[in-house]
Amino acid sequence: MNASMIGLDLPRRDATDKLRGQTRYTVDRARPGMLHAALRRAEVPAGRIVRVDLEPARRMPGVRAVVGSADAPGRSGMVAGDQTLFATGEVRFVGEPIAAVAADTAEQARAAAAAIVVELEPLPPVLTMAEALAPDAPLVHPDWRDYPQFVPGGQRAGNVAWEATVVRDDVAAAFARPDVTVVESTFRVGRQNQASLEPRACVVTFEDGRFLIETSTQAPWTVRDTTASLLGVRPADVRVVVPAVGGGFGLKFAFGLEPFAALLARASGRSVRLANSRRDEMLTALCRENAEIRIRSAVTASGEIVGREAVVLMDCGAYGGEQPFLASMTAHTLGGSYRLGAVRLVSRAIYTNTPPTGAFRACNGTYNVFALERHTDEICQAVGMDPVEFRKRNVIGDGAIGATGQVFEGDVLGPMLDRMAALRAKSRKRPAVSDGRLVGRATVVGTWFILVGPSAATVNLNPDGTATVVTSGVEIGSGAMVQALPQIVAHSLGLRPEDVVVRQADTDAAGYDVGVGGGRTTVSLGAASVAACQEVRKKLLQIASDMLEAAPDDLVLEAGHVQVVGAPQLKVSIAAVAQRAQAVTGPISGSGAFTAPGTASRPGCTAGHLVDALDLPVFAVHECEVAVDPETGQVEVLAYRVVQDVGRAINPRAIGGQIQGGVVQGLGYALHEEVTIGTDGQVRQQGFETYRVPLAQDVVPVEIDLYEGAPSIGPLGTKGAGEVPILNVAAAVACAVANATGRPVREIPLTPPRVLELLDGAADELPLPHIKARWEDNLLGTGAG
Amino acid sequence: MAMQITVNGEARTIAAAPLTPLVEVLREELFLTGAKQACSEGFCGACTVLVDDQPVASCLLPVGLAEGRAVRTVESLGAGNGLSPLQAAMLEQDAVQCGMCFPGILMALTGLLERRPDASEADIRTALAGNICRCTGYERIIAAALAAGAALRQPEGATP
Amino acid sequence: MAGSANGGGLYLATSLPDALAALAERGAAGAPMAGATWIMRRPAGQEGRDGRAYVGLSRIAELRQITVEPDQVRIGACATHAELAAVLADLPECRVLAEAAGRSANPSVRAVATVGGNLCAHDFAAADLVPALLCLEAAVEVAGPGGTERLDLADFLAMRANLEPGRVLTGLVVPRRAVRSAHARLPLRVAGDYPVAMVSLAATLDGADRVEAVRLAVGSVEKVARRWPELEERLQGQALDPDGAAEAAKGVLDGFQARDGVEVPGSYRVRVLPALVRRAVAAALA
Ligand code: FES
Ligand code: FES
Repeated sequence: MNASMIGLDLPRRDATDKLRGQTRYTVDRARPGMLHAALRRAEVPAGRIVRVDLEPARRMPGVRAVVGSADAPGRSGMVAGDQTLFATGEVRFVGEPIAAVAADTAEQARAAAAAIVVELEPLPPVLTMAEALAPDAPLVHPDWRDYPQFVPGGQRAGNVAWEATVVRDDVAAAFARPDVTVVESTFRVGRQNQASLEPRACVVTFEDGRFLIETSTQAPWTVRDTTASLLGVRPADVRVVVPAVGGGFGLKFAFGLEPFAALLARASGRSVRLANSRRDEMLTALCRENAEIRIRSAVTASGEIVGREAVVLMDCGAYGGEQPFLASMTAHTLGGSYRLGAVRLVSRAIYTNTPPTGAFRACNGTYNVFALERHTDEICQAVGMDPVEFRKRNVIGDGAIGATGQVFEGDVLGPMLDRMAALRAKSRKRPAVSDGRLVGRATVVGTWFILVGPSAATVNLNPDGTATVVTSGVEIGSGAMVQALPQIVAHSLGLRPEDVVVRQADTDAAGYDVGVGGGRTTVSLGAASVAACQEVRKKLLQIASDMLEAAPDDLVLEAGHVQVVGAPQLKVSIAAVAQRAQAVTGPISGSGAFTAPGTASRPGCTAGHLVDALDLPVFAVHECEVAVDPETGQVEVLAYRVVQDVGRAINPRAIGGQIQGGVVQGLGYALHEEVTIGTDGQVRQQGFETYRVPLAQDVVPVEIDLYEGAPSIGPLGTKGAGEVPILNVAAAVACAVANATGRPVREIPLTPPRVLELLDGAADELPLPHIKARWEDNLLGTGAG
Repeated sequence: MAMQITVNGEARTIAAAPLTPLVEVLREELFLTGAKQACSEGFCGACTVLVDDQPVASCLLPVGLAEGRAVRTVESLGAGNGLSPLQAAMLEQDAVQCGMCFPGILMALTGLLERRPDASEADIRTALAGNICRCTGYERIIAAALAAGAALRQPEGATP
Repeated sequence: MAGSANGGGLYLATSLPDALAALAERGAAGAPMAGATWIMRRPAGQEGRDGRAYVGLSRIAELRQITVEPDQVRIGACATHAELAAVLADLPECRVLAEAAGRSANPSVRAVATVGGNLCAHDFAAADLVPALLCLEAAVEVAGPGGTERLDLADFLAMRANLEPGRVLTGLVVPRRAVRSAHARLPLRVAGDYPVAMVSLAATLDGADRVEAVRLAVGSVEKVARRWPELEERLQGQALDPDGAAEAAKGVLDGFQARDGVEVPGSYRVRVLPALVRRAVAAALA
């Protein structure tokens, strides 16, 4: 094997076309005779559907097909089938689709959608988690008991869509110890919209009895399977092909518009395009959820955390979606990073009459780390310890027991804290702020994970000496499919990266894959590809061994050739071997697969967890310096530093790009990006005028140090690097603002009005009465529910 | 009724109604899909093109107001199959991620550098006040623009 | 060419009489269009066009002109923000206006958005030019079937939403006086969003550096920008210093009917005014 491909800053093969405006994203695609579709969406947050009359739309000019709930009988959901494609019986959020229209032009489709008669009997909406958990609250899903259950034994009831708990050791006893200080903190965070510049969009054709879906997705197999179940057809009758994706960030990890366009394509016999407007995306994107958190810790005078308990409420909106899965992550994030004595945690996904929420880069990790790190600083204040010193003493290291009882390997966070000090020492000196603004700095730690799970890969060795790697991996902008993957395959086969062709994702061509997200591409698709390459290599060496008259064990793959160890002049080109193979055995190909290896947790300590332990933990240390304007409440980020655990850096420059971009998204989350829901149940920020993402003048160059060498199950020791950069940002900014102002930051985003409240001392307390004082009272079955 | 616009140096006859946003005409009538329509409100900059050498949000410009004017889109950059110095600098800096913002950002910066190849870092950031990039965090884009400016200031500098 | 016959909902007029005739013909359905940026943006909920019969003014050469005369600047309604900022760059007495024109919205909007459009967008509270022009005591010119009439800007703002069909804002006149001026605006990010509050200032100082005359206008706080007479009164005759002016502003914040918005509550807009006054005064003295 040649090591030279790894650690190289290779350019992106897709960059030139993207720079020339030649890349055709899904939004740029068209087919002959293509129709345009529009959705009729609900305008109230809750109501009983009295009547939906599609006929007026059918009579409108240019209309070719109109479909509604009768056309999509299936149900979908992760743990329970709580969702139908169109609102059925009731509408549950503003923006929920009620019917869909395809017409010759987009304008005609919109006009026809508006002509559909929808009669609703309004119901009292449940717009907040406090309302949803109130005694006698109206139920968002009155028929929740009747839904099909996909995960048996899960805890769900009423407005609690899912509940995940961890109980490890005797927490009550820990809190009762005479030598501990008890620190309690509450936090609240808002939603964050992924705001990928390419909205969700698709073009669907129905041909030969199958659906051909071209779509902007991160998870082609999820689109295939969900479309099939919602439409009530065989999954094998859905083919999903993915052009270049204009940003996803988790939004496109779930199905989007595909089933609507599929129904219309079948009904009209024509290709149908459906794309969201920016307003649609603002109203209905599966945002990072808003959440409320209470966390308490029992800490000794020497700074040992002997007991910790927490309640996390996650607003899943009208449907559960991916939140039951994400609820599992609380144990590993809020319960992560530090050595803990006894611990008990509950995270609950709560139904409300608001748009469903979902995955967004590092998901609930972002706010659990925010809550944990602010709480940690409050502990340091309470016991009088330096925050960095406290972290050095308490972060998990080799042999530490995690919240669910898993045993961590290797000292990683501790050395990373030292590297942060070194990075700061190297940092360029800035002039002191002398204009009356308040300055502060904070260093924070965080734990996240690489979503492993199943991936398949096929590698075909072509007679010209190139290789084609076929997977369902999608390039969403991170570069994993166009940089890291060909580098890994080239490395495994002794080829140049440019000799590796990466097949566009197509569910007809490649085997199952969970999707691109959770930093998993390099690890899971990488591992599956390496396994496929091993088969190719074996076949290649077998043939070459005849050609070179040497034992396969004495052969190596190097620079496009098979050569004899110790006699480099004895070699044959890989192309020649591949050609020879055609005559002898037939073409050479290999297939490979990967799935989560499974890591042990302590039996019996978790309930409702879809992830009991982390197969591949990832750590990050961030540091932020801010200046706060006491008159306007504006926060300027003066400096930002990241030390990130990457396992092994395949392409350091590409990782640097991911870190800069992820940190900036995190700055938006921490400071600017706010989603609020009005009393009418509608998202108030309906475009980029009021949904303020960071711009070029709001950001700083992030100072970066890649930490290599932490244990990893990933191929060549890699870990995914694209997801974790956003993890600690809200924590770092919030802790820095708290240090600058001397006030406890309890809520993000830290918009200027909120910072002024903080400075006024009007935000010191954040009462959350719907989180019960006794931890046990927050559980289904034991408490009030 | 038909009107004439010069697009990327060619005279084009446009059939669309005059109130149609220029970006829709470029994308749907002329099949120049480089410019993106990511907000339709003048806030994302993905639709930025040059109209008589000025960067303009083409979602806000009725095509009727572009009549007789010269429009340049990202497809016009670089001679033949080559890259302009600005595009080449973006490639060099590994600036591109999903790529959706680049057609607009390249035109905003081309407009700036044609007028002022000596634009400072602050000028570049200011020129991008209407361009959202959700992926990259901007720094490499700014570094590339500075590098392209420097290249253009060389004696035999080409167009940006 | 006698007015490009574009048909549809947009007619491009070639002269002012042509525009007035076209508007008269279209009656209540007609509306003038300059840069079109405000008309074209798709605000929340309005995904289609509004069906009006627009008369485009941007081809009318005289409406695009900016003329610097010895005692006044004449600005055509179709001059863009970018053009205005460029022409005024060399006129220190118009600095407040140059700053307002040069920093509003973002560069690719400034290249198209016009002065007239900014003044006529009656549902746009955060228009940068309005407070700047108010503190310079600009007058506007409105043409109609009965000829051209000159109005105080404040009077025009009060009536603009109900301007009779067929009447068109053609330009404005800004007196040139030896004032120190500045425009302080507060977007929530460094730039790129509409300012949540603005303070425009123009002042003349006497030999002892005391305020001889001062005009202050506040934008984006209320639905329509307006002068701030209470603060003008307090500053009159005083030495002009940033902290003193900010302090004085704190005492006269009661009168604002601030608008609540998605981006900030009204109370925030009022609260930041003293800081903006300080910035404006400091910039004017610099
Ligand atoms: S689409 Fe024109 S600025 Fe966003
Ligand atoms: S590269 Fe994705 S938006 Fe800029």
